[in-house]
Amino acid sequence: MAKQSFAKSILKKTTVGIVVGVILVVAAQATHFPPVFQIMFFLYAMLGSLVFILLDAPPMNRLEGVKAVGALVVFYLLLSGLYIAGASILPQFDPEDEKGKIEKVLKLRRAQTELGKADELIARAKQLDERAKAITKQLSSLGADAKVEVASTTSAAGGGAASGDLVALGKEQWELQECYNCHKLYGQGGKKRGPEMDNIGNLMTFEQLKEKIIDPKSWKAEGFDKDYEKGKMPDKYKDLMFPQEIDALVAFLVTLKDTSVNTPKPIKMN
Amino acid sequence: MKSADQLGSATIGQGMNRMSGFLKFGSFLALLFFPALAMAAGGAETQAMSVEYRDVPGIGSRNLIWIVAQQHLLLAGFVLGVPIFAWVCEVVGWKTKEPRYDKLAKEFTKLLTSAYATTALFGGILLFLLIGLYPKLMAYLTDMFFPSFLVYCLLFLLETATLYMYWYGWDYMQGNKKTFHLFLGFLLNLFALGIMAVPNSWATFQASPVVLGEGDAWARAWMAMQNPTWMPVNIHRLIANVVLGGFIVGAYAGIRYLLAVSREEREHYDWMGYVGNFIGVFGMLPLPFAGYWLMREVYQYNQQMGITLMGGFLAWLFILQAMLIGVLFLGANYYFWMGITYRIPGSENQYKKPVMAMLIVLLLCLGIWMTPHSLVASLAEAQKMGGTHHPLLGVFGVMSAKMTVSNIMILVTFMSFIMYWRAGKQETAGWAKAAKAIMGGLLVIAGIAVVVLGVWGYFVPAIIRINYFSVAQVLIVLFIMITFTPLTAVLMKSAKTTTEMVWGKMPIRAGYSLVLNAVMVILLMSLMGYARSSSRVHWHIYGVMRDTSEYAYSPALGYAAAFMSLNTFVFCLIVAFIFWVATLGDKAKAQPPRGSTVGIPGHSAPAMAGGAPRAGEKLE
Repeated sequence: MAKQSFAKSILKKTTVGIVVGVILVVAAQATHFPPVFQIMFFLYAMLGSLVFILLDAPPMNRLEGVKAVGALVVFYLLLSGLYIAGASILPQFDPEDEKGKIEKVLKLRRAQTELGKADELIARAKQLDERAKAITKQLSSLGADAKVEVASTTSAAGGGAASGDLVALGKEQWELQECYNCHKLYGQGGKKRGPEMDNIGNLMTFEQLKEKIIDPKSWKAEGFDKDYEKGKMPDKYKDLMFPQEIDALVAFLVTLKDTSVNTPKPIKMN
Repeated sequence: MKSADQLGSATIGQGMNRMSGFLKFGSFLALLFFPALAMAAGGAETQAMSVEYRDVPGIGSRNLIWIVAQQHLLLAGFVLGVPIFAWVCEVVGWKTKEPRYDKLAKEFTKLLTSAYATTALFGGILLFLLIGLYPKLMAYLTDMFFPSFLVYCLLFLLETATLYMYWYGWDYMQGNKKTFHLFLGFLLNLFALGIMAVPNSWATFQASPVVLGEGDAWARAWMAMQNPTWMPVNIHRLIANVVLGGFIVGAYAGIRYLLAVSREEREHYDWMGYVGNFIGVFGMLPLPFAGYWLMREVYQYNQQMGITLMGGFLAWLFILQAMLIGVLFLGANYYFWMGITYRIPGSENQYKKPVMAMLIVLLLCLGIWMTPHSLVASLAEAQKMGGTHHPLLGVFGVMSAKMTVSNIMILVTFMSFIMYWRAGKQETAGWAKAAKAIMGGLLVIAGIAVVVLGVWGYFVPAIIRINYFSVAQVLIVLFIMITFTPLTAVLMKSAKTTTEMVWGKMPIRAGYSLVLNAVMVILLMSLMGYARSSSRVHWHIYGVMRDTSEYAYSPALGYAAAFMSLNTFVFCLIVAFIFWVATLGDKAKAQPPRGSTVGIPGHSAPAMAGGAPRAGEKLE
């Protein structure tokens, strides 16, 4: 009798569970949930109905000895199987993505030849910069102010292949070193611990920025006294980055000249 | 090593010095009396260091460290959690004069001696493996934390000596000497707290390193220890250890209950299962608050790390975590509800409707808890949905919703316990009706207030929500627990028993639910270890020392889950072995003769006793 009543209870609760599950799936489909969520909603409804069934289940016969131990092991395997299956059904991130990023980070360290390339780029950028300055000076002396800008633009464009690569390398360093955690740039990233950087190129020179990265205590951003006192900017980069990587990062930073952003004024400290 | 340090480093710390007591004592003396020699040797070693990593063919260095570190961590949690459990039981036994509590406390303290050695054994293996497989990282950490190693050794010595006195002096220190024995138990837990906290600092430093100021080696080590996630992890692990201790005791009792052949055994292990579940549940109640604090610190320390965990490639892990916690809450409540049905016959009808309502509330809360903030979707799926945040259910993904449902789940679980406590009793106090009405009213107001604060939280700045609303929700729930517990205790003191508590009548699925709870807790601890280590991505020490080994990447969730299951199984086998060894001597003892008195906790015993038959009552 009790068994019959329990069988009825199972049937009733399973039916309710399935109905609720189907309603959830239909609602999820209608509101454009990804399929994995639709499956999860259904399983969630079934979990609920399982607990309801167990609530009224009559006592089972006791198992003894090896059978009892075997039942325990089966129970564990069932839990384990559900857990692994659940974790595997969920979308998996691809470890290869992270491997790719790691490889990028370690490339310089693994292949010293890459360093030579960066050196070469820096040297070329400096050379072009000096050449541009010389042309600007020459044009100024001739009174052709209007053409100065053109000349310097031409100069920058002429060096594009080299300095552009360096700036791109620097931008990559910005990402890899996760500077955005503390500094906002292009409207993205944090700004609680460090100043926004969009206009830093107008406020600091190449050498000053480099000094700040190597020795964070050498400069302080206006309004960031507490963060400066607490040493929020880590002094790890001189150990963590190759000099060429720091140069590339700085080369990227000096290009940031968006005057519409109020980047705090840097103050020389020591 | 997102590799070794991956899961290992969680434990680098704890593993580091858990060599055998003898070995440590020798090292400690050597370092104490020959510090110059030790430092010089260290310096030479650092200079000569050229190997950054070594590998283990086949299994791989990371996987090997993962297994050993996880075993060590779980055993450490057990070894630190069980003394808390034992001490609480001893205090309850002392206060209530119920000998069975004292017996229970002693029974579990007996396990500590063998569990302690096993933990130290795994700690030693872990230490050797870390030194061998990750020498560069270990050299760095040693250089940074060496003074704390000495403190750790000292704490270990004190802990060992106290444990010996506590265990071997149990019978001797009864009667007038009992208070001193209790003091020893307190000391045991105090030193254990230190043993947990010191290595936690090594592991948390890897996740949240700080810029060190000037100072000598001791000052610098102290600065490094005080990193932002150290204290939240300490609190979280302390509570989690209580939960682990309670639920493992529960699982042990559950298994023994399933295997019991005599009625006396069934009664004893039924009661033990109840006590284990009780302590596990009460430890579990504040755990979400501690977890919330930890995540808040992680976000404040490094937003990117927080995003990696909650919204990045590890976001799905928290769906899995929500499922595990949900099943744990369901399992713990289910056990209470079965207790009402089978231990207090006749009460099931009285509580059937509330139980149904509570189950529905728990399921709804679980549904909200497992709703992610941003859904992981392909570009096409996201476009269809109108973004990565679902237009309807996206609101459930934020912390305001999570905090609200976790508070409600805690309230429901607490009320399950109160129901269990009151079942089978009739209040006789004249003010009982008024008290019950006040409690009912307070409960409704508390529930509404928690939900209102949760909804309101959407319309205020995050800082207001985090600092005021979430704290207010927690305080409301704590207020209910703090007022209801003594009020119910006073009510029950004068209450008339309408149905005697019957032990040993629980269906066998009660035993399985206790096993389920323990497995869920172990899986949760393993999952959170994986989360914390993976949040560092490819860093040994976040932002300071990169992992340049071939195992620097994070393993995918499905693969990691299989490893966690394997680790859980191995841990259960080890614990089963420890229990078996520790109880070998008991098997020779004869079962108590039928008709003899049993020391099941008395009718007037506190909530933890579950309102058992009167002490000394004869079993038929």
